[in-house]
Amino acid sequence: MQTLETIIRGAGIHKRYVMGKDNYVDALQDASVEIEKGQMVAVMGPSGSGKSTLVHILGCLDSVNSGEVWLDGRRVDKLSRRDLAQLRRTEVGFIFQTFNLVPSFTALENVMLAAEYAGKSRREARELARTALAQVGLADREDHKPTELSGGQQQRVAIARALVNSPKVIFGDEPTGNLDSASSTEIVDMMHRINRDTGTTFVLVTHDPDVAATCDRVFHMLDGRVANGNGRHAEDGRAD
Amino acid sequence: MRILRNVFRRKLRVLLTIFGITIGVLALVVMGSMAEKINMLVSGGTRYYSDKVTVAAEGSSMFSTGPLSIGKYDAIKAVPGVAEVSAGIATLLETDTSVSFGIPATIQGSDLRGQELESFKVTYSDGRALRADDSGSVVVGSDLVGKLDAQVGGFVSVRGERFQVVGILDKTLTGPDTSVWMTLADAQRLFVQDLPEVIRSQVDKNDLVTSFVVYPTEGTDPEQLALDVNKAVPGVKATGPKAFQDQIASATKIFSAILYGIAIIALFVGGLSVINTMTMSVNERTREIGVRKAIGASDGQIVRQFLGEAGIIGLIGGVSGLVLGWIAVVVANKLLESSDLNLFLVTPRLAIGSVVFALILGLVSGLYPSLHAARLEPVVALRYE
Ligand SMILES: Nc1ncnc2c1ncn2[C@@H]1O[C@H](COP(=O)(O)OP(=O)(O)O)[C@@H](O)[C@H]1O
Ligand SMILES: [Mg+2]
Repeated sequence: MQTLETIIRGAGIHKRYVMGKDNYVDALQDASVEIEKGQMVAVMGPSGSGKSTLVHILGCLDSVNSGEVWLDGRRVDKLSRRDLAQLRRTEVGFIFQTFNLVPSFTALENVMLAAEYAGKSRREARELARTALAQVGLADREDHKPTELSGGQQQRVAIARALVNSPKVIFGDEPTGNLDSASSTEIVDMMHRINRDTGTTFVLVTHDPDVAATCDRVFHMLDGRVANGNGRHAEDGRAD
Repeated sequence: MRILRNVFRRKLRVLLTIFGITIGVLALVVMGSMAEKINMLVSGGTRYYSDKVTVAAEGSSMFSTGPLSIGKYDAIKAVPGVAEVSAGIATLLETDTSVSFGIPATIQGSDLRGQELESFKVTYSDGRALRADDSGSVVVGSDLVGKLDAQVGGFVSVRGERFQVVGILDKTLTGPDTSVWMTLADAQRLFVQDLPEVIRSQVDKNDLVTSFVVYPTEGTDPEQLALDVNKAVPGVKATGPKAFQDQIASATKIFSAILYGIAIIALFVGGLSVINTMTMSVNERTREIGVRKAIGASDGQIVRQFLGEAGIIGLIGGVSGLVLGWIAVVVANKLLESSDLNLFLVTPRLAIGSVVFALILGLVSGLYPSLHAARLEPVVALRYE
């Protein structure tokens, strides 16, 4: 067995969304989770249990009310907007259920965008984007707009975009939720391959037990808590 | 250009916004070119009058002069501080003085004395300057070439008489452009010919002038000299440079006020339209902004993106307004050419100024929506439907 190093640690996270006076939701209540470097983990749980909130917080997209968030040995829950933006462009990548490509941009331009935000020149960004598109098998589709691509292809562009800055962790919030089972399998296989080839950690929210079954580890959420977030080898990683 | 594709995502709305700015800039260019033309005329006049004293008959104003006797010549010349005096006739080119808009064309007759002291130099696009012995000849201002069908060596008809053209002036953008120059004697003959019968029989045409131009000696203050001439010579009114400047200052103020008025209207209409368009664009693209932030865009990068789009809208509106305005001005000048009116002038500063104005308008109006976009929290934007 390999030596496991923690890349993400959330400890006692509370997150409350306040809509108005006496009107709030505690999306996370004392949620704790530890994720090891290089793993591919799934997050499962009923709708509204806080899965999206959790990955947003772990991915430096959202703030916490209390608790700690550590990313690659660095405490990130107290960072400024500016520092969080910096982390998002270099340390993490995101994939969404609805792909979220910029509709007026071509596949190449969508991937370049992330590299340019990370400070790369137009030329460097183009090179990196081409490499990333080749990694997801879309080298021949770089000039296509999102509307000219299938769902599976769009999600592969999104993976290339998440990949382009060589992040440590890629988060996927139901990345196969909008895909048919063939495309879904294809995307999951692709993420596994990237995980193996690059050692990038993947954290995938999913409703699909088949997807979860392929992961190294599965976390179950319920009512804003991670049922099995602590303890490294509490489970064998297979969905039950 | 990626930014253009983003701007034109909502084609109709953006085109309407650009159209609004275009109209504003068009108005600005047309009114501005009129103001510029007047400014050029005025600054030419200011330059012409800056170092000399003009003497007219007593009781005359700048725009209407009664006749004077050339006999005043010696008395004026004798005033200390006078270097040279030139006698002249200025009269309208056409005697039927139906009220017209703009600058009427004139006949300028001069004895051509003191030319070497004249600081307002003119140049010739063809031919040569008029000489004192050029009886029956004229020099034609550039704006009258078409109207009179003038060419050097050919003949033109002035008040029914044939004159040979010896020179054509370069464009000065001021008074000389709409003048025909001839010897004093020729001008006196035309001037007297047109006086009413009763007066004509009483005057000696060789005695009549409408004004003297007085060139001061070096070191003499023209303002002071005007006072001295008024004191020393009865029956005349001598004017220094300042009186001219004062009179025109008030006239140009009105044009500036109109110009500023239009600029402010354009500012409001165009600005509100850009604010509206950009705000709608930000709202529609809330989710996209969230995605951009999720993949690492900083607040500053988001601001720059939307400001860039607003700036482009302003710039396109500005350039198209300038182009349309310019076309309108060229067409208007062409239509008015036959009536010797050249009313509009697009100067480089007006052209550049109106485009820069539109660009800044876009940027300033886009500022608030852009900042609003940048301040969105990434998750809030991502969850937005
Ligand atoms: N921006 C928000 N404002 C208010 N409530 C929110 C917001 N985001 C999430 N919630 C609430 O927090 C809870 C957890 O949501 P979420 O993390 O999206 O769950 P899941 O992804 O597991 O379906 C839900 O009750 C949801 O309605
Ligand atoms: Mg969710």
